[in-house]
Formats: sequence, C-alpha cells, structure tokens
Amino acid sequence: MVAVAIYGLGMFHAFFLWRRGFRRDDWVLYGLLAVGMALHTVAMVKRGFSIHRCPVNNLYEATAFVMWTVVAGYLVMGLWSRLRFLGAFASPLLFALGVFALMPALDPPHPTGPQFTGGIVSLHVALIALAYGALGLSFGGSLMYLSQEHDLKFDKLRALISRLPAIQQLERVMVRLVFCGIVLLTAGLAVAFIGMKAQQGQSFLQDPKVIWSLGVWFFYVGLLVWYRRADHGGHRLAWGNLLGFAFVLLTFWGVNLLSKIHNPIP
Amino acid sequence: MPIVCLGLNHRTAPVEVRERFAIADKSLPDALARVCADAGAQEAVILSTCNRVEIYAATTGDGSALLAALRQFILAGHAEPEGAVFYSHAEPQSVQHLFKVASGLDSMILGETEILGQLKTAYDVALQHKRTGPRLNKAFQRAFNAAKLIRTETNIQRGSVSVASVAVELAEKIFDTLNGRTVMVIGAGDTGEKTARALLSRGAQSVLVSNRSHERAEALAQELGGRAVQFDAWEKEFALIDIVISSTSAPHYVLDRKKLEPLQHRRHRRPLLLIDIAVPRDIEPEVNFLEDVYLYNIDDLQAIAADYLRLRQEEVAKCESIIADKAREMLDSLRGGPSPLGDARLAYDGK
Repeated sequence: MVAVAIYGLGMFHAFFLWRRGFRRDDWVLYGLLAVGMALHTVAMVKRGFSIHRCPVNNLYEATAFVMWTVVAGYLVMGLWSRLRFLGAFASPLLFALGVFALMPALDPPHPTGPQFTGGIVSLHVALIALAYGALGLSFGGSLMYLSQEHDLKFDKLRALISRLPAIQQLERVMVRLVFCGIVLLTAGLAVAFIGMKAQQGQSFLQDPKVIWSLGVWFFYVGLLVWYRRADHGGHRLAWGNLLGFAFVLLTFWGVNLLSKIHNPIP
Repeated sequence: MPIVCLGLNHRTAPVEVRERFAIADKSLPDALARVCADAGAQEAVILSTCNRVEIYAATTGDGSALLAALRQFILAGHAEPEGAVFYSHAEPQSVQHLFKVASGLDSMILGETEILGQLKTAYDVALQHKRTGPRLNKAFQRAFNAAKLIRTETNIQRGSVSVASVAVELAEKIFDTLNGRTVMVIGAGDTGEKTARALLSRGAQSVLVSNRSHERAEALAQELGGRAVQFDAWEKEFALIDIVISSTSAPHYVLDRKKLEPLQHRRHRRPLLLIDIAVPRDIEPEVNFLEDVYLYNIDDLQAIAADYLRLRQEEVAKCESIIADKAREMLDSLRGGPSPLGDARLAYDGK
C-alpha cells in the first residue's frame, strides 16, 4: 500500500512535469519510483515466502506482478537520461493499477486445495501478466503518441521542447508492444488450454474470464490487422489501444469475480 | 596588473563602421606586436569577427592609461567615428565581458556558439606569438570553462532561432530519422532553398524541385544535388515525398485538403511534413486536420523561433549570475598569485 502511495506521489509530481512539457530530466520522479519499487519488491518477496510459491495466483498478485514489470522496465530505461521522461507516463499507470489491485475481493485467501497447481499455472499466470504488462506499456506509448501528435499540430513549441521521441518512433514502439502482448497472451492462453484440465462439470469455454480473455485477444489481433491492412496511421491505433486497455482495466476485476475457475471458493 | 578591454560591436556600431576597424587574420600577429610595443601592454589578445573588434590586454601599469593607448592604437589611420561606438572596461567588468562574449550572451543571436570558436582561435594566435601571459591565460581559460558550464547548466543555447533550423527540428520530431527522406521544394525561393539545405545537411536523401520556371527549378536542383520536376507534374511524384517546402508566389492554394487526401492514400499514410513559407499561403490550413499530416506556415516557424529566443532571454539572468561568480573566483585566484603559463596552456589544451 505504501508503494502505491509513492506511485501516487510520483503521479502528482508527473502532473507538474506534464505542464512543463518534460523539459528536464527528472531524478525526483525516478527516485520516487525507485523507492516505490523497492517497497513493492519487498512486499512481493514476503508474500512469495509466506505462500511458498511464486506470488501470481490471484488477481491482486497478478496485477502487482504486472506493476512490478512496468516499474522495473522504466527504471532500466530511465538510466538513459533521454528516456527518463517516461516516468511521467509510467507513474499514472502504476498508480491506477495499484489502486485497482488494492480493491477488495481481488485478494481472496489462497484455497487449501487449489484447483490448479504446479509450474504450468505459474507459467500461465506469468505469461498472461507479462502480456498485460506489454499492453500496459503500449497504453503508455499511446498516451505519448496522442500527446505528441496534439502538440505537433496545435502546440508546436511544446512539441519541440518536450523530451518525447519522434512520433514515428512512438508509433513503432506502440505496434511492437501490442505485438509482444498478443504473442504473450496467445502463449499464456495456449498453455492453459493445453496444460490444464477443468474439473468435472466445468468448461473453459463457458468460463466468463476465459471468454473475456479470448475477446481481448480477438480485439488486439483485430486492431493490429486493421492497422496493417487499412493503412491507418498511428492515431487510430493509439485510440484503439487506449480504449482496449481501459476496457481491460475496468472489467478485469468484475470478470475475475464471475469466474469460478479463476476465483475458487476457499 | 589589471585586465582591460576596448572594442566595438554590433550593438554600438553599424557594419560600415565595424568593417573599417576589422583586422584581417593575417595581420593579427603584427597588430598584437604593436599593441604590446606601442600601447605598453604586457599581454594582449585581439578578437576580430564580423560582429566585433575587441582588444583584451593586461599591464603592470595603470589600466586607464592602457585603455587610452589602446584607443589611440585602434584609431590609428582612421577618422574618429561619430557617436560612442567604442566601449572600454576595466576589472572586474573586463573579465565579465570576456566571459559573456565566450558564452554568446553578447552575440547578435543570443547564445550562439560560433563566437566561442572565434575566441579560441584569437587566443591561440596570441598564445602562439607569445603575446599572452599568466593573467590573460587564466582569464581566457576560465572564460572557456564558464562558457562550457553555461552551456550545460542553462538553456541559453537551447532550440533553433532561424526558420530553416526550426523546420529541421520539427522534422526530427516527426520522423525517427531524416536519413533517406525525400524533400520536395515547390517554388524556388531563398528560404525554401536554405530549409532544403538544412534538411540535406541532417541526412535527407534527395530533393525534388518544382517551379513555374523549369529552368530555375533545374538550376536549384543542380545546386542541391536533386532533380527538377515539371510544375504541373509534381503531384505524380508525391508517393515518394516525406517533406514538402512550398514557397510559390501563387495567389491561391497549391495544395488543399481535397487534393491531398487521395495523395495520402498513395503514400500509405506515412507521416507528411508540410512547410509553407509562402505569402499568400500555398497550402490550405485545413490539411493540418488530416491524420499523419503536419503543416507549418511561416508564422508558425517564426513564432517558434521567437519563443525559443524568449526562452533563451529568460536564462540570461541565470547566466549572468554564473558569470559574476566565475569572474570573481578568477580574480580572487589571481590575487592569490597568477598561475604559470604552462599550467594554463595545459588546462586549455585539455579542455
């Protein structure tokens, strides 16, 4: 919770950076996110030791894992001063994910007799978490793209003094991250379909979260195919990306609660 | 042993006065010798550029007498110009002025860096001819260091203040690289040519030139190492184009939204940078609302250059504070004993 509060502080600080147009490298934000990540790591390690396995077994843990991959990715990229501005985009995303993860009922007690155990489950959860991490970063890339596009068209000086990369570069990053997200999501879903068997009376294809996940997969694949085939520029892809990930953030929790496979009664 | 400075610059004298007092590069060693011999300076450096002529000198005697002698030296063979075209500084203002000049604070284009190179060259000439000593060595070495510090600690050199360089900067914010980009120049005007040259110098691959007078287009294309295109056929080449610079004298739009939309499909919606420097404008402003199209007219570019200049001006107080501190430090260290020539030379060479 303290880590999320620090990400929130980072977001508050990022608000001023946005207003200044990312003019300077910002070690304050980088430092805040580094402190947040240190606390975040301690919390994940402690939970891992307490449950004697990788802490990616429910929605809270999976979201915390996604956040950890996002902040770790940022801290590595932020070592290069040219990329340190990315914190202004990462901190609101981390704070939103953190608030989401702390919502009640996302962290039910671990069942005594889990429906699925073993390495396949950890692999499935890790792949899915990384997939949403990539899609989350792409969401950040889309925010950057739209901000840069707006400035290049209507606030021209701000576009020049900001630290954002060229808009063509942002488009390429956005596309690659969506592609990575799709590949990881495909692998995560395939691992579950191939490596796990539902209990008698249950079917994967009738589970709300599985149907939802397939819907998300089709949406992102469709978005990428549409982008490639219809010769659309980054603008529509960025909006599609924003809407897609906002949908994921807003519905993930509810769908997870409806899923008996993903939310077993202890 | 005070350091003094006497000179004239673009603020105090028009070009017709400055050119009379300019000293050619080849005459500098002789001029330095005369400053030392006739004006009684123990050390001297002469800076002569298109915007300024300045003599920095140090003496063991009286600074005021040296300034008077320098004035006589510079006026030798010339009629006294009208008005107060010369300025003179004694310590600490002379040292602060040197630091300001090195940092581009006294330049016509605020914060420009060319002057630092010119100042280094002027110092090198004096050093090679053994006209500098401990005081000027230290003063110039510290001036170069202060200029470097100001460049890294402030935004005084940030951004472009000319239309052509603003256009290049915008292109770099749109395209991941300018290497391999194709530029089309419509209308063979002077600013268009400068902008095309600036883009080429940053990696743009080729230039197509289209003009009502095909001969003029061919001449410019040849100068830019590009290809001329008939004025009524430029749209056919559009699939290749990444950047358009338009500066025709047409009384109507040369490119409008209706015309551009199908052309964008042919380009597979790659980003397109349109630079319209014509008055009246060549490109309909509505095209800026098309996806992947970025339009800038002459007012946009000039406004950006002016904004950059304003940003630089906002940094002046910060720069002056750094200069005051560094100049004071330098003068304090001189009072504690001048550094030997060798030390100064080593530090300067090593930067």
